[in-house]
Amino acid sequence: MPSKKRSVMLPRSFQARIASVLILLMLVVVGALYFAVRTATNVAVRSQAHEQLDVGTRVFEQLLDVRGRQLHDAVQVLAADFGFKAAVASGDRETIRSALANHGARINASAVMMLGLDGTLEVSTDSRISGQTAARLSAQAMAQQRAGVQIVLMPIGDSIYLLVQTTVNAPLPIARVMMGFEVDEAFARELRELTLLELTLVAKQDGLPAIWISTLPASTQALLQSNMATEPAAADDLMLIGAERYLDQRVLLASGEGFEVEALLYKSMTQAQQAFAPLDRNILLIAMAALLAALGGALLLARNISQPVQRLAAVAERVGQGDYQMPLELYRNDELGSLAKAFHTMQRGIAERERQLAHNALHDALTGLPNRNLALERLGSAIAAGRPTALLYVGISNLRGVNDICGPGASDLALQQLSQRLQGSLRPGDSLAQLMASELLLLLENSDDNSAIVISDRLQQLLSEPLRIGNHEVVLDCCVGIAVYPADGETPDDLLRRASIAMQDAAQLPGRLQMYERGRDAAHQRQIRLIRDLSRAPNNAELLLHYQPKLDIASGKVLQAEALLRWQHPQLGMISPGEFIPLAERTGSIQNLTTWVIEEALRQLREWNGRGLNVQLSLNISTEDLVDPKLPERVDLLLQRYQVPAEQLIFEITESGVMLNPTLALQVLHGLRDLGISLSVDDFGTGYSSLAQLKRMPVQELKIDQSFILDLDDASEDAVIVRSTIEMSHSLGLKVVAEGVEFACSLRLLERWKCDSAQGYLISRPLPAEAFEAWIALPLPTAALKVF
Amino acid sequence: MTRPFLDLLRAGLLGLFCSISPVLWAASLHAELVDTQGQPLAGAVLTLRGPLGAEAEPEQAVMDQQAQQFVPHVLAVRTGTLVAFPNSDNIRHHVYSFSPSKKFELRLYQGTHSEPVLFDKPGAVVLGCNIHDWMVGYVYVTDDPWFEVSDEQGRVQFDALPVGSYSASLWHPQSPNMLPQTAGTLVIGEQPVQQRFTVAIQASAEVVPTAAPASAFGDAFKKAQRDAAP
Repeated sequence: MPSKKRSVMLPRSFQARIASVLILLMLVVVGALYFAVRTATNVAVRSQAHEQLDVGTRVFEQLLDVRGRQLHDAVQVLAADFGFKAAVASGDRETIRSALANHGARINASAVMMLGLDGTLEVSTDSRISGQTAARLSAQAMAQQRAGVQIVLMPIGDSIYLLVQTTVNAPLPIARVMMGFEVDEAFARELRELTLLELTLVAKQDGLPAIWISTLPASTQALLQSNMATEPAAADDLMLIGAERYLDQRVLLASGEGFEVEALLYKSMTQAQQAFAPLDRNILLIAMAALLAALGGALLLARNISQPVQRLAAVAERVGQGDYQMPLELYRNDELGSLAKAFHTMQRGIAERERQLAHNALHDALTGLPNRNLALERLGSAIAAGRPTALLYVGISNLRGVNDICGPGASDLALQQLSQRLQGSLRPGDSLAQLMASELLLLLENSDDNSAIVISDRLQQLLSEPLRIGNHEVVLDCCVGIAVYPADGETPDDLLRRASIAMQDAAQLPGRLQMYERGRDAAHQRQIRLIRDLSRAPNNAELLLHYQPKLDIASGKVLQAEALLRWQHPQLGMISPGEFIPLAERTGSIQNLTTWVIEEALRQLREWNGRGLNVQLSLNISTEDLVDPKLPERVDLLLQRYQVPAEQLIFEITESGVMLNPTLALQVLHGLRDLGISLSVDDFGTGYSSLAQLKRMPVQELKIDQSFILDLDDASEDAVIVRSTIEMSHSLGLKVVAEGVEFACSLRLLERWKCDSAQGYLISRPLPAEAFEAWIALPLPTAALKVF
Repeated sequence: MTRPFLDLLRAGLLGLFCSISPVLWAASLHAELVDTQGQPLAGAVLTLRGPLGAEAEPEQAVMDQQAQQFVPHVLAVRTGTLVAFPNSDNIRHHVYSFSPSKKFELRLYQGTHSEPVLFDKPGAVVLGCNIHDWMVGYVYVTDDPWFEVSDEQGRVQFDALPVGSYSASLWHPQSPNMLPQTAGTLVIGEQPVQQRFTVAIQASAEVVPTAAPASAFGDAFKKAQRDAAP
């Protein structure tokens, strides 16, 4: 599940990454562009606004000037009017006032005043204007006029007036006429129409509140007023009035004693920027379009890359699951194409190698035969199908010896030849497998035990034919164990193990062929346990020696005993040496046991010697001990340690033990003999050794196997063997001991034949040390007494 | 109706008296009229009031209009003189006066106006033309029997003034408040008299610009720009 999830997540994130990188780039580009344009437009807007402000200001001034001049001209025309002059010259105030009002109305003057040439107010249409004010205004207007200015902007009361003054000539100046035009918001609006600027006129007077006339909305105007009050406007700076930004220009229109008229011109930046709003919108649109295109392109590109990658990933995943057949069709000329090609090659390579590996895993490298795993698998399938199957477990016991004879590598050749020969003999449906170097397994399907035995027999004949290896002919010693499904087991492992047990059993048989016996399995388990526990037995004080007296037949005395090893297993109880000694021999732990036996025997001998009991003890020395060149040395050391004379020891050896490696064995035997230890040949008659061979060995005694003694009677075949053996031994100077003497008659026969010693239940069963000591202290065993 | 008749009578009597004693006419007066800077002053009027009556009865005078100017620029007449205003131009003029001494108006006319205008009160009368503002002329109406207008060099000459003591008056269009100035008494003997008179004049209170006015707000703007410039 996690891998599935990852395989889905990966391309997505890859796509997303490509898309996001592209979009990011696009954003950067668009953003940079936008800001560049924004900056440029801002600069443009600003300069344009500046320009507009400048132009507007000039226009404003020009307009004001033109207006002033127009008014001035109008006033002059008016003053030149004959009727007006006549009225003025009439000297009648009311007439003059009406004339002033009338003529003022002609040119929309708000106030008309006539002053004397000396500046005294003669007549005024506006009663609010006092004589004093009029005189001041006139003087200021005169001053302005003298400076070349025809029109004057001046605050009067709460209004701003555009004042124009002229003289009435008749034809010489007879009076001055001053006309005032109130500058009101309509006038300001008119100027705004022409200049496109927001206009504010401010008139400041000493001691009076400033007069404001503005085209700005009332609220803005209020803000502006408070702004002006708090801080002086800096030139060329953006002015913030409320939320609106303005570019402003201040023009001092008129100033005089105690008054000042200023024009404040404003260009709204917001308004100016509105011209660029479509550009902004367009850029935004283009940016959006570009982003969308980038997104689409990125997704397309990513898809173009990620889809093949996804397919490759799917194929890789299938390869991971062991499927090498998934087609990978990706015909592209780019890197992904070559990757796909490489994938394909890899897929095939892995498939090939895996097939090889699988073959190697299931077949033996040397012979090419199926191995244990494959054999078990086949067996398993046969079991699953319920086919009765026979397992023939073939063990080759002397395979290692082939190398010794024919040189290294010969065993391999032998095995190869053998396997070829076996394969040639197989029926269809049978299969051969190699379990270990020296173990083969034949699976015979649809076979019961009878047919298995028949085939085994044929097989053995086949196996016993000599193999030719180089210049040598080799006969392999093959044992065959048979187990049959379903009779001997339900699982491949059980069957195989039981066949193996049968094979091991077969090794002990002359026929070298053994069917699995029911219960051998449990015995086998017991063996395994014993093998395991045996190595710990000496240290756990589980071992002990029993002593079986040996009767000196001639004297009727017991001067000798055989030390027999006993194992008291903590759970399994007393284990017979017949069971554990072969196990020890097979597993190589016999040497430990032997050492323990020798040491224990010496300890016991010293103890007994100390109590005046002088007994000669026979100890069994195993085959393995005889190939240990250091044995004499070790025994010597022990003898010295326990201060026991070597003559009190007899080492019993078997014929086969000597036969295993005669040279080394003889060397060891001589070493022991040199110490003064007597040597005895145990179980004589069971092996193939001859008396001639015995002659070469430094033995002093021969022990006839109990199988000859047990049912000894005068007429039997055994009697001949025993009797002639005794005679021959004596002629060779060897003493003879008979084992397994259980009946008095046997003893009598042995006595007659001059057998030297007898051992067996008739005399005594093997006894623990104290019991033996007690037994020997008795005058003579009753059973033995019967003989005499 | 009575007043002109009496004036006429008085003038007749005066003429009778003069013709009886011609011997007394002895000397001439050469006067030189200068302004306060000592510059000769043209267009100034010197009037003399002597021991005897009028030298001459009031007569007809002419204030012509030539090349859109009043000619002469200054005309001195005795009270009661009829002044004709012929128009020598080929365009019309509209002569008027709002002066207190004589208010009149000769509506647009060409050639010689039918009626001469009687100047029956002493004082300065400023003449204008309603359609040509630059036309300014002065008629100085005086009761004094002897009067003369200075020429370009500011000279005034009286021939055959009867011997005697005279009070002199001076007048000029630029006289303060356009009022005559007394210039003291003058004794005329048998020898010609050379006399220099200084006329007080004042500059016109009203400045009448002759050139086109400068653009005041243009200047203001330029100033503002200069101020704004760093």
